[in-house]
Amino acid sequence: MKKVLTVILCLSLVLVLSVSCSKKAEPTDNSGKAAEKTVEKAKEIKVALIVSSTIDDKGWCQAMHDGITQAMNELPKGKISDYKAVENTQPADTMTAIRTYVNLGYNIIIVHGSQYRAQVEEASKEFPDVMFAFGTTTDIIGPNVFSYMPQSEETGYLSGIIAGMTTKANHVGLVGPIDGGDSARYNRGYVLGVQSVNPSCKIDVTHIGDFNDTVKSGEFAQNLIQGGCDVLTGSSQQALGALRAVADYPDKEIWWVGQDLAQIALDEGYKCIAASSYNYKAVLIGLVDKFEKGKLGGEIISMNFNNGGFEWGWNDSNPKATAEVKKAVESKMAEFVKAADLVANYKDVDYTKL
Amino acid sequence: MELMINTLTLTARFTVALLIASMGEMFNQKSGIFNLGCEGIMSMGAFLGMLVPFLYGGAGTVPGYINAAGLIAGALCGALMGLLFGVVVISFRAPQGIAGIGLQMFGVGLAGTFFRSYIGGTQSITGINAKAIPVLSEIPVLGPILFTHNPVVYIAYLMVPVAWYIIFKTPWGLKIRAAGTYPKAADSLGINVNKIRYESLAVGGAMAGFAGAFLTLCQAKMFNAGIISGRGFIAVALVYFGQWHPVKIFLGALLFTFAQSLQTQIQIFVPQFGYYEFLTMLPYILVIAVLAFNRKSNKFGPAALGKPFNREQRV
Repeated sequence: MKKVLTVILCLSLVLVLSVSCSKKAEPTDNSGKAAEKTVEKAKEIKVALIVSSTIDDKGWCQAMHDGITQAMNELPKGKISDYKAVENTQPADTMTAIRTYVNLGYNIIIVHGSQYRAQVEEASKEFPDVMFAFGTTTDIIGPNVFSYMPQSEETGYLSGIIAGMTTKANHVGLVGPIDGGDSARYNRGYVLGVQSVNPSCKIDVTHIGDFNDTVKSGEFAQNLIQGGCDVLTGSSQQALGALRAVADYPDKEIWWVGQDLAQIALDEGYKCIAASSYNYKAVLIGLVDKFEKGKLGGEIISMNFNNGGFEWGWNDSNPKATAEVKKAVESKMAEFVKAADLVANYKDVDYTKL
Repeated sequence: MELMINTLTLTARFTVALLIASMGEMFNQKSGIFNLGCEGIMSMGAFLGMLVPFLYGGAGTVPGYINAAGLIAGALCGALMGLLFGVVVISFRAPQGIAGIGLQMFGVGLAGTFFRSYIGGTQSITGINAKAIPVLSEIPVLGPILFTHNPVVYIAYLMVPVAWYIIFKTPWGLKIRAAGTYPKAADSLGINVNKIRYESLAVGGAMAGFAGAFLTLCQAKMFNAGIISGRGFIAVALVYFGQWHPVKIFLGALLFTFAQSLQTQIQIFVPQFGYYEFLTMLPYILVIAVLAFNRKSNKFGPAALGKPFNREQRV
């Protein structure tokens, strides 16, 4: 009986693996021979991306993935000979992923998330000839690490202007992941943006304590909506759950301002008035250029409207994307394009005093 | 007052996935097997719960029976995974803890792989929406709390007395308890312990799969690879919390979810508190505190929990 069960189990496993792999059979030509190729062709550029979520999360990780693929299309064909993404990576698994890809000849490793800082510090010392890009931080990590930091207080500010002008309940909300990195800047910018156009507006700021838990994000958004908020926003990939919760009220005037342009195209995107997005394409093109010049790191790459680090899009089918709102947002955006660091006071925002 | 009504209404809705999964885990544990793979089963249930309506109508509205088919598909898959777990821990007598962790990883990984292959990326569905019951929902205070949910919420609450009745009032429930308390004695009375354990794992797995499908169809209305986010493990903890009794597990699930809702409310209404990190821990601290201070908990646990049964060594 046991033998029969063993055989059945083995067959089931084989069946499951074959079914799951049958739809997308990816070419495997770059696995075994990759290291060999690197030796033969030293300047070949191969990019690896390490992310905590998935490259289709309609948020933080997808923005970087999209930026890389756009850069590959814009750069001369073959400039980046290969690109691979490692998804759902825990910090504990990061070194394994980095070592694997370095051994396979990947020479630009993008480690996308502030939770990986210790691993990037370790890896950059272990592989001094490899270029690492790490975000978000404003610290210089090492001579072969480019730190990038989106100045998301700018996009948050614009989102806040929309929320402050749109709310009828004079009550808006925010579903954040943790109070750190890029999200902390976006969220504080949002508060300042709301206050700039509607000083009496009540702003509820919440943090779910997780970057990926869309269910919890949805629960928080429901709490905010039940509490009277009629315009919400959220940062990082968890925010998708909050957007879905907003779409649970199709007949009510409850709206969303997005932090990724992909959110407008979603089925629930009709609730989205506008959205910002990171322009990682420019970052990657810059990295490739520096790599070719032999510069592997030791700099901080700021991303803002002034240097084309952000994109902005309106959902023109949304009734709240009015000319008045657009004018206010675009006027402020023009100021951001002219000069950086205009929202430097985002650090002064104190949630406990809201 | 309105705030409290809102908090309780959301608590009643959000507790459902945990309640169903922990009720299923109770069946497993009552028969002597603890299944740490609940998380993996919930992941597969969540995936299938979404896949069925998505294949039928994409993100658009689909007939109610299609959504029901999604829930059933999740439950059936859960039952199969429960049986698979049974093969490993009952027939092969593998250590239950290790096998459970393996099942958890298998389920989460498999759901993510299938999702990527058959759907492609984060995708939402219309799902099953909440609907107020006429007249009853207008009762002051209790109306909004109890009668403004989607139909699956009521089914979940009905599972509590049903589970209690099955466990404590039916011959099958008696056999389950016997298999989990003193399997040698049960065996000597002619009860097929392994068969009972397989049946319990199938029921427990079905409920975990159903709970996962509830998350995608009724709550999040979307699927992504990490959608369960530890809720399977919380379901296992709630069984200990509720001392293997359906009503106490129900109260535990309610308390846990209430603490979740409460921490949101504190963040909103008492921003001066500041430490959201502490607030997000609140529900978990609550569970640990109750387990730590409830020393009698062990007395209620099935005596043979976690111990494989070998008929050849019954004497």
